[in-house]
Amino acid sequence: MTESKKVVIAGYVRSPFTPAGKGELASVRPDDLVAQTVSGLVEKTGVDPKLIDDLKLGCAMPEGEQGLNMARLVVFEAGLPEEVGGVTINRFCGSSMQAIHDAAGAVSMGMSDAVICAGVESMTRVPMGGFNPQPNPELYKAVPGAYMGMGETAENVADKYKVTRKEQEEFSLKSQFKAAAAKKEGRFDNEIVPIKTPSGKIVSEDGCPRPDSTAEGLAKLKTAFKSDGSVTAGTSSPVTDGAAAVLVCSEEFALKHGLEILAEVKSFAVTGLDPTIMGMGPVPSTLKAMDKAGITMDDVAVVEMNEAFASQSIASQRELGIPEEKLNKDGGAIALGHPLGASGARITGKAAQLLHDDKSESEYAVSTMCIGQGQGIATVLKKYTPPAPSKKPAAAPATPKQ
Amino acid sequence: MTIKKAAVIGAGVMGAGIAAQLANAGIEVELLDRVDPKNPDNRSAIAEGAIAKLLKNKPASFMHKKFAKRVRPGNTEDDIARLKDCDIIIEAVFEDPKVKHDIFKKIDANRKPGAVVASNTSTIPLHDLLDGQSDALKKDFVITHFFNPPRYMRLLELITSQHNSQETIDTVTRFMDETVGKGVVHCHDTPGFIANRIGTFWIQCSINEAIDRDLTVEEADAIVGKPMGVPKTGIFGLVDLVGLDLMPHISASLLSKLPPEDGYVKIEKTYPVIEKMIADGYTGRKGKGGFYRLNDKREKMAVDLKTGAVRPSKKAKMQAAENSKKSGIKALVETKDKGGDYAWAVLKQTLAYTAEHAHEIAADINAVDEAMKLGYNWEKGPFELIDALGVDYVIKRMKQDGDKIPDLLQKAAGKSFYKVDNGKLHCMNAAGGYDEVKRPEGVLLLSDIKRGSKPLASNARTIKIPGVGKMDMGARIWDIGDGVLCVEFASTGNSLEFLTMKMLNKAADMIENGNGKYKAMVIHNEGENFSVGANLKLASMAVKAKQYWIVDKLLNKGQETLKRLKYAKFPVVSAPSGMALGGGCEILLHSHHVQAHAETYAGLVEAGVGLLPAWGGTTELLTRATQNPKLPKGPMPPVATVFETISTAKVATSAFEAKDLMYLRQSDGVTMNKARLLSDAKTKALEMVKDLKPELPHDMVLPGPSGAAALNMAVDGFFLKGAATSYDVVVSDKMAKVMTGGDKAGPGIIITQDYLRSLERENFMALVHDKRTLARIDKMITTNKPLREPPMTGVPAQKLRDDADKKGFVARAFAPVKNVFNKVCHRKPSNDNKNKGLTKDTKAKVNWPNIKKG
Repeated sequence: MTESKKVVIAGYVRSPFTPAGKGELASVRPDDLVAQTVSGLVEKTGVDPKLIDDLKLGCAMPEGEQGLNMARLVVFEAGLPEEVGGVTINRFCGSSMQAIHDAAGAVSMGMSDAVICAGVESMTRVPMGGFNPQPNPELYKAVPGAYMGMGETAENVADKYKVTRKEQEEFSLKSQFKAAAAKKEGRFDNEIVPIKTPSGKIVSEDGCPRPDSTAEGLAKLKTAFKSDGSVTAGTSSPVTDGAAAVLVCSEEFALKHGLEILAEVKSFAVTGLDPTIMGMGPVPSTLKAMDKAGITMDDVAVVEMNEAFASQSIASQRELGIPEEKLNKDGGAIALGHPLGASGARITGKAAQLLHDDKSESEYAVSTMCIGQGQGIATVLKKYTPPAPSKKPAAAPATPKQ
Repeated sequence: MTIKKAAVIGAGVMGAGIAAQLANAGIEVELLDRVDPKNPDNRSAIAEGAIAKLLKNKPASFMHKKFAKRVRPGNTEDDIARLKDCDIIIEAVFEDPKVKHDIFKKIDANRKPGAVVASNTSTIPLHDLLDGQSDALKKDFVITHFFNPPRYMRLLELITSQHNSQETIDTVTRFMDETVGKGVVHCHDTPGFIANRIGTFWIQCSINEAIDRDLTVEEADAIVGKPMGVPKTGIFGLVDLVGLDLMPHISASLLSKLPPEDGYVKIEKTYPVIEKMIADGYTGRKGKGGFYRLNDKREKMAVDLKTGAVRPSKKAKMQAAENSKKSGIKALVETKDKGGDYAWAVLKQTLAYTAEHAHEIAADINAVDEAMKLGYNWEKGPFELIDALGVDYVIKRMKQDGDKIPDLLQKAAGKSFYKVDNGKLHCMNAAGGYDEVKRPEGVLLLSDIKRGSKPLASNARTIKIPGVGKMDMGARIWDIGDGVLCVEFASTGNSLEFLTMKMLNKAADMIENGNGKYKAMVIHNEGENFSVGANLKLASMAVKAKQYWIVDKLLNKGQETLKRLKYAKFPVVSAPSGMALGGGCEILLHSHHVQAHAETYAGLVEAGVGLLPAWGGTTELLTRATQNPKLPKGPMPPVATVFETISTAKVATSAFEAKDLMYLRQSDGVTMNKARLLSDAKTKALEMVKDLKPELPHDMVLPGPSGAAALNMAVDGFFLKGAATSYDVVVSDKMAKVMTGGDKAGPGIIITQDYLRSLERENFMALVHDKRTLARIDKMITTNKPLREPPMTGVPAQKLRDDADKKGFVARAFAPVKNVFNKVCHRKPSNDNKNKGLTKDTKAKVNWPNIKKG
């Protein structure tokens, strides 16, 4: 075993995110969707596919069209060499962030050089909960939280952390407006891979955002999960179809092959917590990851926190003390959508991208999300600085490939 | 010629409605309207908007949403060339002869030779419409007058002319009857044709007499409603429904064409109160309300006919109406009070006017009766009403009143308008003789058979139960020819109980033991509904008396009977129309074939009364779902589908929708015209005699308790959201237990249908023992509406289930289930049956993680 290596993110793309059932990607099989996304990543980064070690694919409901170790099938579909491995990873919403963590571990140990970490979910074609949900009836009675619906946990968080309906709606509006501004200013153009549907149509725009949302409109919605609750469809992330992919490799590999490095992977963490308030998952996991990296929120320039629900986002933001201007700069899942298995790769890739473009003094970015059944997951990224030329003269081109 | 493609010109309420009904009948339709001047970007916006509106209509215009695709929108300027492919072109534009004349010329120039051109006019005579048109058009031109809404009103008035060939007339008649499903009544070319001519007189007369006699709108409607055999909306309710503003148009058109001595011209009258209502926008249900309306607090209000003032509506108590309930229409008009006098005044004038004009407007009196029954939903036509009162009685009373007796009525003196001769129905002709009432080929009416024969067996009876009232029970078996028996339910609402089951068994016995005399069984009821399900009054009484064994016996009897039909070696064909709910739906599920009227409303609605389908209905629907190749694989998708259907008591709004819900098979037949239903069912039954393949029992692997937990989890979400009540949680838990195969089911366990039936029974009985079920049943009996328990928050759903199990019927004591399982279910070959899954012993050893809340 060699000395641990510096792990970097050297590319991020995603498919457009469209509403499940009625969106333009509803007709696209999830394996096709992520294969096109992976191909897009290979093309964008310019990485030589022959040098990829593995495809780690996050998926929250790996059955039906998402079943049969989809990752390996996507290797074939995306035209990667058959020597590239494929593993499907399930940590529910944290699946593709887990893929990044697994890759980072392997790269850090020198066991892999370059890994494609992708995520996908067609919530149209494989329902949440799967086709054949068969919970353990005794466990359901003993630990109801283990199977609790996500909406109910969002209500629990709102109750416990006293997040009002109005606050949730304001948060959602901000998410919508930030996403609308990002789209208008072309900040998604660089990350979206156009997807071809079976009918031959090319889809290249997100379908979930509702830029014309208003406070009055949101205030009129009925509660979605609890008759006397506060969470509505407008303050929840929509059910979505989408895929995302990032390239995780060693610094050495990136430099050698002229890849553009977006950020360095500094630390990561997962934690468990009471499943009835699973939405608070970002808090312990982020604290743990920041602790591993030896930083505090003051050192952080960018936070990408998955907006499963406004209630848990607000409560987590408060508990972690995340300043408004650092959080989800281009909007979050409430506006963009939350294809379960894809979201972790999206927010981590997005955090890397934003950190890369960040001009502030702060050095770090955090991506974090809550996970059903009561877990949290977080990644700490660091701004990448190329090694000083004096130490390693002319080992690699000084300017990475654009 | 066969009509395969149609065009409808004019996408207003009638045109669009006709287009939808043609689409329901499987016809491709071009729906054209004028170019929308307000919408330069979309020249077909009017027709497109009409289709969008059709999709939103309630009651639905389309029998299945997907049928909307059969209607292609367009406009008369750009798309008129599309007419060249159409076999029939129906005009439904504004009632203005000039507009129509222009359209006809346009149609004529663009249609293919021989294509039928039909107008849907209600007021303009055919000879006026043909004024100035080409000879070719005259030859192919007819009036097809639909009633609103075209899907639901069964009447189609057909007016033809001497220019038409018999072939054209036959083509249109067959198309409208067999394909579109309408009752075609041939009318003479006279103002208002048949139904509106008589109907308008009747409405005017009812309004006049009510106002003259100082009746309130409620009092009038209590008489000219159910007691008179007309829809319970009554007369003012009907005008509200039709639209107050429409009445002056119909009236003006009739007045302009009828001679001054016509009875209608004489009684036609306008009232300032009504004129003011129209002016103020109170045009009926489509406007702000009419004679009846809701105030701000949504309380029902009614208009004072004298002053126009609005006051709270109150139910009228009319002795005459009460009397009619007991002894029929004669008791109504014989009651000596203002209700009885009002009824007589309206009836005698309407009947006399009809008798006066019958042969002027129609070829025979039966056409007049049919038109009023199909177009105005009268239970009896005018001449049938006279027969019910007695011709001589009507003459006598009219003479007492000093009225002139119409010739036709006089000719019937000492006789009746209808008579049965040699088992065949005859009606009186203009000369006073009788002609046989001929049904079109392929029309077989149980009422005709009943008129001409006696039932082969019957246990129909009326039972008086203290505190409950009169209840019709039982069923009859009829010989409908060619070796086919028809079982007809004779009970209130065609509800089902021991006696109906007995007759189903009896019919099966007759076929099985009849030495080939009988070959097949058809289950059919001609009335409004096929069956509203099990007799709830009986169940309620038994439960109140704590005689639960009666309910269980009925369950057992029903299961045995329906199972017998399912596995019968002779064809069992059900022919439903209207509601087929609960047990009625279960009969369909057990039949070899269902020939359904398109307007069949099937549903397993037991959840509404806190029960579950337990005559094998749950088992049969689950059997179908597990064999449905469209559902994803695995044990849950069929279960979840059936659970959703049954736990939410889904009712199909047409036979086509019933196929989606699996209440009907894809292979089951649909008949558009109700009058052809029995004949179609009989034909199918005879066809099946030749090569009936006996049903085979179907075993299933069901998910067991883990599947039940998954279903309960979904219900818990609905409960939290307030979409399921506290008792829904309990009822659906029992359903889940049945559908997932009970405690012993799971991977590797074969569950038989017999075992599922025993689970149905066990869980049904558990619900019967819960007083909340009785509360739901009683609410349904008394109000015809389901009881919804009040909202409950802060209680975990699991506690509701546990409490119900503690308090309710102890399922464990229900020995049959255990026995059945041991006898009929088995695990797939395996060495060790024990210690798989969580048995009682292992359960104690599992330590669930102790998770701190908050």
